Amino acid sequence: MIGNVLLTLGLAAGVFTMVMYYLTYRGYQNTLSLARVGYHAMTISVVAASALLLHAILTHQYQYKYVYNYSGDDLPVGLLMSTFYAGQEGSLLIWLLFTVIVGLILLEYTSKRGDLEQRVMMVFSLAAAFLLLMVNPLLQSPFTYLWTEPSYIDVKNINQSFLSMPFIQNFLFEDPGGGKTFVKISTEFAGVLKAQGIAFNDFVIQGKGLNPLLQNFWMQIHPPILFVGFAMSTVPFAFAFASIMKNEYKDWVKQAMPWVLSGTMVLGLAIMLGGYWAYGVLGWGGYWGWDPVENASLVPWLIAVASIHTLLVQMKSQKNGPPRFIKTNLILCIMTYVLVLYSTFLTRSGILGDASVHSFVDPGMTVYLLLVIFVLAFTILGFGGVAYRWKHLNETYEYKENVLSRELALFTGAVTLIASGIIVLAGTSAPIFGTSVEIRFYNELNLPIAIIIGLLNGFSLMLKWKSTNGLDIWKSFKGSIIATLVLSAIIIVAGGVYDVMLALLIISSVFTIVINSEIAYRIFKGRVSYVGAYIAHVGIALFLIGSVATGGFTENAQVDLVKGQPSKVLGYDLTFTGFEVNNEGKYAFNIDIERDGSKSTAAPVMYIAEFNNSLMREPDILNKFTKDFYISPISYEDSQSRAGDGHSHGDVVLIKDEPHVYHDSKITFTGFNFPENQMSAMQDGTGFEIGAVIEVDHNGQKYNVEPKMVSKGGERSFVGVEVPEANLKITMSNLDASGKVIVSFSSLDGSSSDHSHQASVKQEILTIEASVKPYINLVWAGVIIMVIGFTVAAFRRSKESLA
Amino acid sequence: MKNKYIFGGFIIVVFLGIMGYLFTQTNISYEENFAEIMKVNKTVKATGEWVKEKSYHIDKEKNLFSFYVRDYNGTEMQVVYKGAIPNNFESATSVVLTGKYSEKGYFHATNILTKCPSKYEETFEEASS
Repeated sequence: MIGNVLLTLGLAAGVFTMVMYYLTYRGYQNTLSLARVGYHAMTISVVAASALLLHAILTHQYQYKYVYNYSGDDLPVGLLMSTFYAGQEGSLLIWLLFTVIVGLILLEYTSKRGDLEQRVMMVFSLAAAFLLLMVNPLLQSPFTYLWTEPSYIDVKNINQSFLSMPFIQNFLFEDPGGGKTFVKISTEFAGVLKAQGIAFNDFVIQGKGLNPLLQNFWMQIHPPILFVGFAMSTVPFAFAFASIMKNEYKDWVKQAMPWVLSGTMVLGLAIMLGGYWAYGVLGWGGYWGWDPVENASLVPWLIAVASIHTLLVQMKSQKNGPPRFIKTNLILCIMTYVLVLYSTFLTRSGILGDASVHSFVDPGMTVYLLLVIFVLAFTILGFGGVAYRWKHLNETYEYKENVLSRELALFTGAVTLIASGIIVLAGTSAPIFGTSVEIRFYNELNLPIAIIIGLLNGFSLMLKWKSTNGLDIWKSFKGSIIATLVLSAIIIVAGGVYDVMLALLIISSVFTIVINSEIAYRIFKGRVSYVGAYIAHVGIALFLIGSVATGGFTENAQVDLVKGQPSKVLGYDLTFTGFEVNNEGKYAFNIDIERDGSKSTAAPVMYIAEFNNSLMREPDILNKFTKDFYISPISYEDSQSRAGDGHSHGDVVLIKDEPHVYHDSKITFTGFNFPENQMSAMQDGTGFEIGAVIEVDHNGQKYNVEPKMVSKGGERSFVGVEVPEANLKITMSNLDASGKVIVSFSSLDGSSSDHSHQASVKQEILTIEASVKPYINLVWAGVIIMVIGFTVAAFRRSKESLA
Repeated sequence: MKNKYIFGGFIIVVFLGIMGYLFTQTNISYEENFAEIMKVNKTVKATGEWVKEKSYHIDKEKNLFSFYVRDYNGTEMQVVYKGAIPNNFESATSVVLTGKYSEKGYFHATNILTKCPSKYEETFEEASS
């Protein structure tokens, strides 16, 4: 109840703030302090509502539908807190929470800069009010009670002692399919409970719990940072619109710059933390899958990065001349926020239901419409404003330019980034039109873009502002260009990068690194605070080289590891040594890894999640300086469970050249017999056969036999062999090209079956997918360096913005 | 003509041109009617229901996972996927398969998205690729 009141008060305060700021802008004298009071009232309401939700989650108040749906009793505190934003309503609330907090800082910032406050904060309050509208009790409040709309909850979540009581019987339902029993929770039922004097919270004692996919460390980090980034993207929009209102386009650039830089930094960091989550924990194998929701946050980031560069040109040019790229800057700053809203729309409207891992469920028509209105309102407001001033802008500002100028190079770079943004956006929006694109759509288009951006980046830094003499460039950057070519050649040859596009990307990235490092080095001796941009550029270039290495040169192999028997996989000796159950009831499969004498262990994890009754897998990674050895578990079987697959209990795995003793025979598998004509038959898809050459040593006599696998029309069958002299029958049941066969032995006269053998042949087989990902550390290092660069630049620009 | 329009325009025109072309090349449409899928030799996203009665088959040698799906008409189709059985597969009520109907008489899936809505419980989705 209180929560809903707070959210409604917040909305009222938000609208009030907006109106008061508008009146101040129109020249009213005493409305500014009212507006500030209004803003603080809104902030307090939102903070209080958030605290209330957090409290409800921590104290397991399952009468709230949101708490029941996403939280549970058995979660550790950190994860329990993260259920705050596990669903639609709560994640809107956390976005709102960060928005109002960012707004407090913005209020402080703008109040010191002339008449900026009323215009900027008016727009900002509008954005906050829209978010408040979304979490309004009439739409999607996280404080809605479980019984507001009738819902069925599993009896396992109910205090069992109430189940036999007579009043409940009318509300029990059987699921015809699953055989589960549910209680229908409705307003009527809540009334009955109340009449019985039972607190709802004593009745429902467990929540549905958090999706196990989300139950890990990164769930506590990635979403909040992403929402801080979303909240901060509101600021450039507010600045741009404020300057349109005043019809004055010079000051806002300088004032917005630190906000654009820090917002872009936070958003970029959040995106890549999501990438690390996917790579390290979810076991997707890579850090980027062009999933529509990943893309949806990437597009605003690309546009924001483009805007940084054109804002910079305007700042430089207006110091001693007419400002450049005014319209571009307005449009890009508006676009950034509009795209954040659009990505919210894509994720939350249910449109991506069939296309994405992240998407929320269909929220219903009202919310869908409101999301559309939210996006449209800010699109129309922003672009309408630019259109309104278009003519004025065209007539007022004119300038000449030179082809070889840094301005033009930066502009071209920004356009290239925008092109990338448009491409990703087009692919991502395809599901709206009932279609979608393959991953290669993104890869093939963004590869040349990355090459161009790298080249333009290095090149633009060789150029001077305004105009440059072509010969000067060569003179002053001879060394760097030669260094680039030599370094790239070394990387390309040593790494065997024979794909033309990848080689070009290497050259362009190395070029970026060399030029930026050189400039950074020169600056570092002088004004350290100016070095930010160059650090960020080196970061992105390292990231690109890392992505070439991992994207183009990852090796994969799927293998069966038999417990206790080493297998050679991608140059590593792997031995599965057994599993153990950890304290969360998950199975960790220990694998010894040996390479060149150095030993280590890895323990990928599998478990059955009760939440959705399905198998969950978590990879483990052996992190080396130059590469990651990545192990994803696939399945685990012991010989008992293999029986159903047609294997008998007497299965023995014969490894090539490793003798096996059975009774008084020594049996050695020496290799496959796979003649060339059979090999080509296999490639043609027609029937073929493979023989396993086995040597049986019986009392000093050697016999060579060859059981066969015959494949015909996709069906496989096995032909066994007999060695009468040794009273031995060998039946083959499987073979593995890596050099082992699975056989079983029996005596010909039936005198001895496998009984004596059974205990010792119990086999445990762990199937894994292993991959070697070269230089993936460059990807992470690149991101960290980029974030450092952004941070340095944001500090510098925030100092300058006061000047 | 200003330089910025020449340079910027060139980049945009070139990339949007390539994009338009690649879009038609890589575009995958949703198709719920298996009879249609079997007719056209084109990559699609097929939505259907796993035929539980026919179980599934895992070929560890070749790393293949195969099963049958049924569409709303009751048309059944065999699916072969190179890779491990996706998480959630057994409890999925419907699957979204990306792939192509092969001449060999089965649907060759490159991606399986499992969906697990139940009448009483909330929908959640998960991909495997």
